Amino acid sequence: MAGVRSGLKSGFAAGIVNALIVLLGVHVLLGDVLAGWFSLPSPQPGAWLLLLAVAWWGGARALREQPEGWKNVSVVGLLAGLAHGLVMGVLVGVLASLTAEGADIRQVLAKVSPEAVDLLTFGLSPIVAALMMFGVMTLVGVVSALLANASTRYRWGESIAGVWQNALDRIAALPSVQSVRRFAHTRLIVYAVGLAILLVLPFFAGQYWNYTLGTVGLYVVLGLGLNIVVGMGGLLHLGYAAFFAIGGYTVAILTAPQFGIEWGFWVALPIGIILATLTGVLLSLPVLRMRGDYLAIVTLGFGEIIRILAKSDVLTDFTGGPRGVRAVAGPALFGIDISSEFHFMYLILLGIVLVALISSRLQNSRMGRAFMAMREDEDVAQTMGVYTLKYKVLAFAIGAAFAGLGGAIFASRNQFTGPEDYTLLVSINVLCLVIIGGMNSLPGVIVGSLVLKGLPEMLRELDDYRMLAFGALLIVMMILRPEGLWPSQRRAMELRESSE
Amino acid sequence: MGILQAVQVTKRFGGLTAVSMVDIDVPERGIASIIGPNGAGKTTLFNCITGAYQPEEGSMSFDGQLLNDRRPDQITALGIARTFQNIRLFGEMTALENVLVGRHHRLRSGVFGAIFRPPRTRREEREALGDALNLLAFVGLQGSGNVFAKNLPYGAQRRLEIARALAVKPRLLLLDEPTAGMNPSETTDMIELIRRLRDELGITILLIEHDMRVVMNISEQISVLDYGVKIAEGTPGEIQNNPKVIEAYLGRSVAGFKDVEV
Repeated sequence: MAGVRSGLKSGFAAGIVNALIVLLGVHVLLGDVLAGWFSLPSPQPGAWLLLLAVAWWGGARALREQPEGWKNVSVVGLLAGLAHGLVMGVLVGVLASLTAEGADIRQVLAKVSPEAVDLLTFGLSPIVAALMMFGVMTLVGVVSALLANASTRYRWGESIAGVWQNALDRIAALPSVQSVRRFAHTRLIVYAVGLAILLVLPFFAGQYWNYTLGTVGLYVVLGLGLNIVVGMGGLLHLGYAAFFAIGGYTVAILTAPQFGIEWGFWVALPIGIILATLTGVLLSLPVLRMRGDYLAIVTLGFGEIIRILAKSDVLTDFTGGPRGVRAVAGPALFGIDISSEFHFMYLILLGIVLVALISSRLQNSRMGRAFMAMREDEDVAQTMGVYTLKYKVLAFAIGAAFAGLGGAIFASRNQFTGPEDYTLLVSINVLCLVIIGGMNSLPGVIVGSLVLKGLPEMLRELDDYRMLAFGALLIVMMILRPEGLWPSQRRAMELRESSE
Repeated sequence: MGILQAVQVTKRFGGLTAVSMVDIDVPERGIASIIGPNGAGKTTLFNCITGAYQPEEGSMSFDGQLLNDRRPDQITALGIARTFQNIRLFGEMTALENVLVGRHHRLRSGVFGAIFRPPRTRREEREALGDALNLLAFVGLQGSGNVFAKNLPYGAQRRLEIARALAVKPRLLLLDEPTAGMNPSETTDMIELIRRLRDELGITILLIEHDMRVVMNISEQISVLDYGVKIAEGTPGEIQNNPKVIEAYLGRSVAGFKDVEV
């Protein structure tokens, strides 16, 4: 019969997922978090919520081969439930009896404590607990299959991906939104409101959040810069942190007392940006004729070379070597010494506004079109009259200038800079946020930075599981939305003629 | 003296001579065709003219200016534009943006202009946009300007490629199999469009085409390539009855058999 295989497969799959959840103690974690949020007396509801949700998913997924009629559907659901119940029943039975006999499973699996097992057994004897688990999971399998069939929306992956888009579309289609859209100055008002919120925000965010948001902001600057190289120009650059480093080190060396130059931040900043830009140009020259993978490898090497140079003993007198540069000066503006996270927030915001403005202007210009044409098809771009070598150099130069700005603020804010601030991971992170946000999408870069640098902070409650949850989230996001969270939208330049 | 002259052009790839001692002379405001079996070197010749390849021997000149050793974008700036056999649009850009890229070399604004948008840049962009819209309308794509090129139907993509090439303001247009993959009615429209390019815009056309109906219908001059060598040249009538051409297309034995029959 159609669906028997998918029923069993789906049931076992969900069972294995739930078994892993139990063995890793994820159910306890979620139970604790939910108990904390809703001030529940016990983590039990949260823990079971997770297990039942997975079982539900298993039952609904079992209908992939689309069995006809409620009888077939319930059989398939029953099979999924039985398969799931079998896995979980055996697991609970084993865990419960081991615990009952006083064995300490934690020596093997750190998270399987007697309390964690208790959440599943309700303190019942192992046999009864196993049977109960078996029964519950079987029931959930049947019920979820029937309900999913009734709602006919059992393609969960698609529907979840669709919900986000649907919500956006529906909001856009609202008459009020439509009429607001037609109003010519809407964009300006939206920008003004957004900016006002950003200007007020640092007053309410504490020092910790100002620091976190400041980091997010610096990554926005970097993301917008790399977006010009990768998103617009299509040049895969894996050594972007090098430009960041040059901006940071220039300001550090020119302002820190240990080198005896001690210029002000505002003098050092433009020098940092110019040096980063020059480095961008110099790097672009040898790689002009390289494409794709080869370009990626060369830029990767370049990024590491800069970091290792900064770290090397030979240059210790100039860069501070592995110990870095201490006491980097903060800027002063209108007589205010910018030194707290609060003040730096504003400096970073200023940087973002500047860089975003330049990016958006570039995107909708002859330059932007040339960059994008180069990304789409280098040979054809050249045949259509774009001197691609020139635009490659330009893309690297502009991207590097943005990174230089980011690095200068970064070093100044930390009052310290060292080679470990500019590892390969920084380059990878910036590339990831551009991709996750949506290639060549300016709002995408902001969303991407929030997700990539902000989310790990928000997930702090998950402590040990933070990176696990973060990684899982990235994978799910890329499967459901490969074009990015906020994909780029090209400006509609052709106005619909009303006469048609 | 034609507008495009190629003299003794030879292009080799390792041991293979893709184009061998070919002479082409395209008269101004003419419609000329290059035909020949697959692998005869037609597209290679196009690539030599547009600067994608540098020929080992021979010279090519356009309106008295030598094309050898120029970059593709410089050759485009002289007024030569082309389309591609396998459509090569900028897929993730809108139709309008595709056309505007064609106008690239005619515009002047650089980084400064892009960032600060002085009046000069605004005017330039406004004019370019107007021209691009006109070109889209000319090839019958009005209303599709905001569509991503990759989302356009096949026939529309071929037309968009022509609009993009026209944005260059070319005096010579190289069309590489413009009717490939089209149904008879689309083909008729394309023939019509090519005629209009010459008659209304005064553009010289050089095309590669396999569809004999198209070639014989619109060409004033046909050059036949086989194994990289030009084996015949003349009007459609002359080419149709040229035994060498029949042999190249149908094979030696058939041609021989035909001679016996006659």
